[in-house]
Amino acid sequence: MILLALMISLRADEPEKSVIQIMTFSQEPDWDEPWNASRVRGSTGSGFVIEGNRIMTNAHVVSWAKQIQVRRFQDSRPHLAEIAYVGHDCDLAILTVEDPTFFEGLNPLPIGVLPKVRSVVNTIGYPAGGEQISFTSGVVSRIELINYVQPGNRSLLAVQTDAAINPGNSGGPVLQDDQVVGVAFQGTPGLENTGFFIPPPIIQHFLKDVEDGVYNGFPQAGIGLSPLINPAYRQFLKLESPSDGARVDTLRSESAKAFLKEDDVLLEINGYQVAADATILYEGNQVHGAIAFSQAQHGQEVPVKIWREGQLLEIALPVEVNAQDRLEGNQYEPPKYFVYAGLVFTPLSRDYLTTFGQNWSAVAGIGLLYELFYKRNAEPEEVRSEPIMLSTVLSHPVNANMDIKGRVLVESINGIRIDSLEDVVRALEDHEGSHHVIEFGERLGFDCLDRNEAEKANDAILQTYGIQKDRML
Amino acid sequence: MKQTIWSISVWGWLILMSGIKPALMADDVIDRWSSSLIKIEVTRHQYEFFQPWSRRTASNVKFGVVTQGEQIITAAEDLFDQTTIRVQKGGRGEWFQASLEWIDYHLNLALLKVQDPAFWDGLQPVEFADPVPATGEARLLRWNDGRLENRKLDINRLRVGRSPLSFIDLPQLELDSEIEGIGRSEAIVVGDQLIGLAVAQARNKCAAIPSFLIHEVLTRLEQNQPSEVGFFNFYWKKSENPAAQDYLKLTGPRRGVIITEIIAIPGHQNVLKAKDILLSVDGFDIDIMGDYDDPTYGKLTLERLATRGHWAGDQVAMTLWREGALLEVAFELPRANYQSEYVPTANYDMPPAYLMAGGLLFQPLTEPFLRSWGRDWERRAPVRLVRLKGQAPSEENPSCVVLSAVLPDPYNLGYQDYRYLVVHQVNGRRIVDLPGLKEALELPVEGFHLIEFLPGEAVTKLVLDAQRLKDATQRVMFKYRLPTDYVVGESGTP
Repeated sequence: MILLALMISLRADEPEKSVIQIMTFSQEPDWDEPWNASRVRGSTGSGFVIEGNRIMTNAHVVSWAKQIQVRRFQDSRPHLAEIAYVGHDCDLAILTVEDPTFFEGLNPLPIGVLPKVRSVVNTIGYPAGGEQISFTSGVVSRIELINYVQPGNRSLLAVQTDAAINPGNSGGPVLQDDQVVGVAFQGTPGLENTGFFIPPPIIQHFLKDVEDGVYNGFPQAGIGLSPLINPAYRQFLKLESPSDGARVDTLRSESAKAFLKEDDVLLEINGYQVAADATILYEGNQVHGAIAFSQAQHGQEVPVKIWREGQLLEIALPVEVNAQDRLEGNQYEPPKYFVYAGLVFTPLSRDYLTTFGQNWSAVAGIGLLYELFYKRNAEPEEVRSEPIMLSTVLSHPVNANMDIKGRVLVESINGIRIDSLEDVVRALEDHEGSHHVIEFGERLGFDCLDRNEAEKANDAILQTYGIQKDRML
Repeated sequence: MKQTIWSISVWGWLILMSGIKPALMADDVIDRWSSSLIKIEVTRHQYEFFQPWSRRTASNVKFGVVTQGEQIITAAEDLFDQTTIRVQKGGRGEWFQASLEWIDYHLNLALLKVQDPAFWDGLQPVEFADPVPATGEARLLRWNDGRLENRKLDINRLRVGRSPLSFIDLPQLELDSEIEGIGRSEAIVVGDQLIGLAVAQARNKCAAIPSFLIHEVLTRLEQNQPSEVGFFNFYWKKSENPAAQDYLKLTGPRRGVIITEIIAIPGHQNVLKAKDILLSVDGFDIDIMGDYDDPTYGKLTLERLATRGHWAGDQVAMTLWREGALLEVAFELPRANYQSEYVPTANYDMPPAYLMAGGLLFQPLTEPFLRSWGRDWERRAPVRLVRLKGQAPSEENPSCVVLSAVLPDPYNLGYQDYRYLVVHQVNGRRIVDLPGLKEALELPVEGFHLIEFLPGEAVTKLVLDAQRLKDATQRVMFKYRLPTDYVVGESGTP
């Protein structure tokens, strides 16, 4: 999947008047040398007016924005806009415009309902290939849970259509009967006529979430749900029904551990009957049962019916936004770092791994992949909340003799296990011994720095390499 | 024309000055090598680890040389899983049946025997160079379409490198060559002495097993002395950073290397600790790069000292700097043994082990299994499995078994997509090998088999109907043409 870095109101009765062209000037950080940033890049996308003099668009249209300009339909004047709310997990954002006259004469587009498969939808936006607003139409091909590229590690409900969705369409409305039934957001390279849009249940969830002024995100049950098809396993669990219910294989969140047990059988989630293949029938679509949990807001309870040790139980399961796997997905906060004696420390993250190149998953090495993506489930007692990399060594006589030159995971410093960047700072700055001893993973052993020499060299190194601040925590 | 004459004269002068023999060998030398270089044809099984019961056949041609006692010495490569060995002398004519007399995959050497006395007529054993020249010109000899192909090589150096079929480091002769396709145990000679057997090529560099190592092994075999190779089961780092040696309180000149990790081998008594500075081995001082001064070959990496006159089980004297003081220790060389690894590097000369139960295919996790993902297996095979390659074995956890595939059958309905899962327990019993799994499957719990996988796998548990298992296994064997449902190695491990 790729994000369509897409990015175009104004007769009151014509929806195109409420479709906005968005121009973003952004600057992404350098994850390897985090005090640096890429050159300023301009991109365009689409958005549309919603209730409350606001513009809805995709999160990826405005990611890393330094300045956002918006234009009305057939009006060349740019207006400055700001992000009011952004939900990277659902790839949605709400913008406000400084000039209140911007919204004069613009009607907010109403949010509709999930369209039916095979029904006709229309997209409006400002895709690449021209300056003017563009209209396309197609049918709803299918509705299912898919991976959202913006977070990279979240799957939510999405609708596939054969209506052309091209770069620049992103954030634009998908309409049916003059109501918004989706926000265009991503496509699949190599596949023809497969565009995806974010459907009303996700949009409404996002709008509901921000009503209190804070965006929390989509909650998860914190469980691994496995199909329960094999008759022997069903018999082993003393299940009476031959075809319903999926099995709780693993418990990941604290609330799941408090309320559920492994081998519990989920029979019903939020009123939806769970099939043996872990799916539910949602608005006429057979989709993964996780969708039923994501309908709730962060901290709410979801009613579930379970089968446990031959008994039917009803439980109100609290669901929460998973913040534990933040580093495994794409992040949209400036990277943290700490520079000490030319040694640059920064968290291991998916974004960091991309510095290994396009083929990063093959190049980065098993050790880093395991630490970031597998260890949490395989060895939860050993997992680090924020694994730290020595990303690079800024050459200086004080560190020139070190064997390790960067791109290695830090195990400990001066005997302190490193679980976060704050640990690095503490381990180095509070140490009173003659040498700093840094231990690395992957059989790389350890390396040493003379503490007095290191402390003396700090300022000179920061000056030589043009680093304004030695830390961003 | 003038330029050509000049070039020739300069070349001739260089040859005279260097004392190297002319590029083309004299006829008598060619005759001499024709009577010692043997062409070997090996037919062997090729296993498909994703379907371990299926086997294909492959044939390879390689070379060897005649040694004392009417034997042929050659590299062990291509001889594993062999079914037939034939040999030919003179590069043409009659083929003779040969048999494997001795083989050591760590040393990468094998001895062949030929029963038919007619084969040995006119053959003469080779003379091994000891020491081997570390510079100058050598010749590569191999049979090619009935003629003795004779190519020039330049000797670069003697170095220590990874033995092709093992995890240990051995001395290797490194040579430069313009030709391709080297590495089939071709004879590398200088004059009438063998200096090595070619084993590998990377671009224009090739490696050879040096003749002194071959000679040493043959002598030990003749004398019925153990010839199992030992190795240093520890990792070390260079001491280029003075701050590291200061931290370790080393006094005097900078020297030695720092031990960083000891690889646990069940039964091996470890005398080293991480952060020891290794100052000398077997009387040789170790410099900060990890080299010692070899009296014959100059700077060589310290791993050579595990095999320089030493064999598995020998004690090697080491001087350490530990916690601010000198310490003398005797390090016992552990035997190189694939079975001492958590994920064995190899399992030669035995078919892949497996156990199929109700369509569920279980296999020991081995490197040959991981190599099924192709040359780039370390990047392409599942991360969780590749990572286990670095795990140290323990007495309680010496190896592991994976559910490698499920052969679809009504019995295992719903499990068809499960694969590459590391087995943790079966019916409550910890599983480390196939015999243990087989035993556990004979002890169902209340009519069910409970199979649990390691945490973090895509699924952590499955349940089978114990009563129907036997029938299902028979049905799957018939349907998928498995000759048997259980294959294990001689020791019961892979």
